[in-house]
Amino acid sequence: MFFKKDVLADVSEGMDIIVVTGTNGKTTTANMLESALTESGQKVLANKSGANLLSGVTAEFCCAAGGTGKPSGKIAVIECDEGALKQVVPLIKPKVIVVTNLFRDQLDRYGEVMHTLEQIKTGIEKVPDAVLCLNSGDSLVSSIALGVKNKVVYYGLDMPFGDQNPRVVSDAIHCVRCGAEYRYNFYTYAHLGDFYCPNCGYKRCRPEVAVTSIDQMDADGTDIQLVAGGEEYSARIGLPAIYNVYNAAAAVAAYYAFGSDVGQMIDTLSRIHSSFGRMETFKPGRQPVQMILVKNPAGCTQTIEFLTSLGKDYVLILGLNDRTADGHDISWIWDADYEKFAADPHVLKVYVTGDRAEDMQLRLKYAGLAEDKICLEKRTENLLETMKTSSAPVFVMPNYTSMLELRKLLSDATGAREFWEKQE
Amino acid sequence: MEVIMELKICHLYPEVLNLYGDRGNIICMRRRLEWRGIGCSVDLLRIGEKADFTQYDIFFIGGGQDFEQEVLLGDLRDGKDKSLIAAVEDGRTFLTICGGYQMMGHYYETHDGVKCEFLGAVDFCTVGADVRMIDNYCFKLGAESGGSTVVGFENHSGKTYLGAGVNPLGRVIKGNGNNGEDGTEGVRYKNVFGSYSHGPILPKNPQLCDVILESALVRKYGKAELEPLTDSFEVQAHDAVYKMITGA
Repeated sequence: MFFKKDVLADVSEGMDIIVVTGTNGKTTTANMLESALTESGQKVLANKSGANLLSGVTAEFCCAAGGTGKPSGKIAVIECDEGALKQVVPLIKPKVIVVTNLFRDQLDRYGEVMHTLEQIKTGIEKVPDAVLCLNSGDSLVSSIALGVKNKVVYYGLDMPFGDQNPRVVSDAIHCVRCGAEYRYNFYTYAHLGDFYCPNCGYKRCRPEVAVTSIDQMDADGTDIQLVAGGEEYSARIGLPAIYNVYNAAAAVAAYYAFGSDVGQMIDTLSRIHSSFGRMETFKPGRQPVQMILVKNPAGCTQTIEFLTSLGKDYVLILGLNDRTADGHDISWIWDADYEKFAADPHVLKVYVTGDRAEDMQLRLKYAGLAEDKICLEKRTENLLETMKTSSAPVFVMPNYTSMLELRKLLSDATGAREFWEKQE
Repeated sequence: MEVIMELKICHLYPEVLNLYGDRGNIICMRRRLEWRGIGCSVDLLRIGEKADFTQYDIFFIGGGQDFEQEVLLGDLRDGKDKSLIAAVEDGRTFLTICGGYQMMGHYYETHDGVKCEFLGAVDFCTVGADVRMIDNYCFKLGAESGGSTVVGFENHSGKTYLGAGVNPLGRVIKGNGNNGEDGTEGVRYKNVFGSYSHGPILPKNPQLCDVILESALVRKYGKAELEPLTDSFEVQAHDAVYKMITGA
């Protein structure tokens, strides 16, 4: 596609825009924001299809502009790739930029997580008027505030969550400022938590939008207490797992920074269900089939912890492709804790599928799963039959392009509408 | 009397050098020993921590991010360097991957001429290039390392050149290997195994894993008779990638 260089600047001029970037949770956070804004009666432009590079964002605005040269709405929620941020934000001049988190992801595309951080900073330096919403418990993300002029709203968990053992594998062990090893007052998940550097004093800032307690967490969602702008709220998030608590806090922070009504966002959160393969539920037979996109070790381990904590029998389908959109290097599967599946008596059977199903099969063997519980099945029609006839709930954990395939299989079989056909 | 065998593994700098699923190599060595009734313990040795290196049979050093590699060079020079060189000369087994592999050589020179002094435990050096060598690749091990084919994933911009007296770990079948020029991949010096293959290297290449374990068992017990294992998943995974890379 070719565009006049500043066409994106032209069509987006005068609009109030929220940009969401970061490794995990972009789509879910953007979906929460778009839903809340739509429910408040606004007409919202959003790049729902996940086309989040400069070309995709430009196409989204141009399509919405149609013949008039301007989108009919005044508000946009844009999910933006971390690497593309520096190209996109100078053109669309967002009012608010949300950074969700930084984990190792698709390393063969970006090199390393420090490089990704630099790219995000380069983008933000070009828009000093944008309000930043930063994850206070992520030492990499919160370091973006160092040395930029932007106003910052921190969000995050203001409480420990999950196991508090020191992390052996972490994406951020050493202080981003001075190189000393961080210490933690508490952990939440992966490298997130109440970190501080004993050497230079860099530490977590207390979040202005803070989750203060998690009251209940199950397969359908989570009940939390949240403080925003000094007000206390009880909220129900219609999505399970700890990372969605962070996504909800990010969405509340962005809504707050955008000047919208936080109470109304809290209402919306209870009605949020899933977005494009991220915890989407299908019913091809008697049992629910729930799809959870996993694409890097941090997200994958969180999903495994969530499933192994349910305490009910289930069947797993693990899909692993190695196409360009997935990253050709699938070695991250060795950093995720599949060992927990081996220790969970509720795992009845694990099907592995996709281009690199053999690698996943091998990973499970070395995780300690009995070989007769593992079944390699590359034919998707057979997988569909398995899902239809399963006597226990099925959880599907695909990476990106595997998710696209399996989602199509399931939506064709169940008549589910494509995500972009979702009607407001 | 039956000797109860055990290997002690030292995982060096796991908090820094843990990029790209490196811990899969530790998981693989541990399992393949356990399945044969051989004991295995793994000690993690982080920056600033000291240990008696003569208690270990195998050292594992993985790859890391450039930003973090600088942090550990200071720690190496704080005494670990001499102990590691002594362990190499003593015939102890080393598996070193990517950045960890480069660290065993004399130095790394960036393409703008900045030289970073490394351990110098093995005679080779690495020079930075501006093109990253990234992809699935495969190579054939030298006879001293068993001669099997190895599949892996390489991702490095440094080009490594071996000194005259040291052997490569293998010869590239498809891909770049040490430098993309001379067809060599990795290094084999005494019981040091160095490779650019992360991903991790061992699970899909069980014969190489067993050669590495045997080298440590022979040094410690004077013999090594590893029972054959049913490697059907291993062979399936190896062959699928080999076919994808070579089309054969």
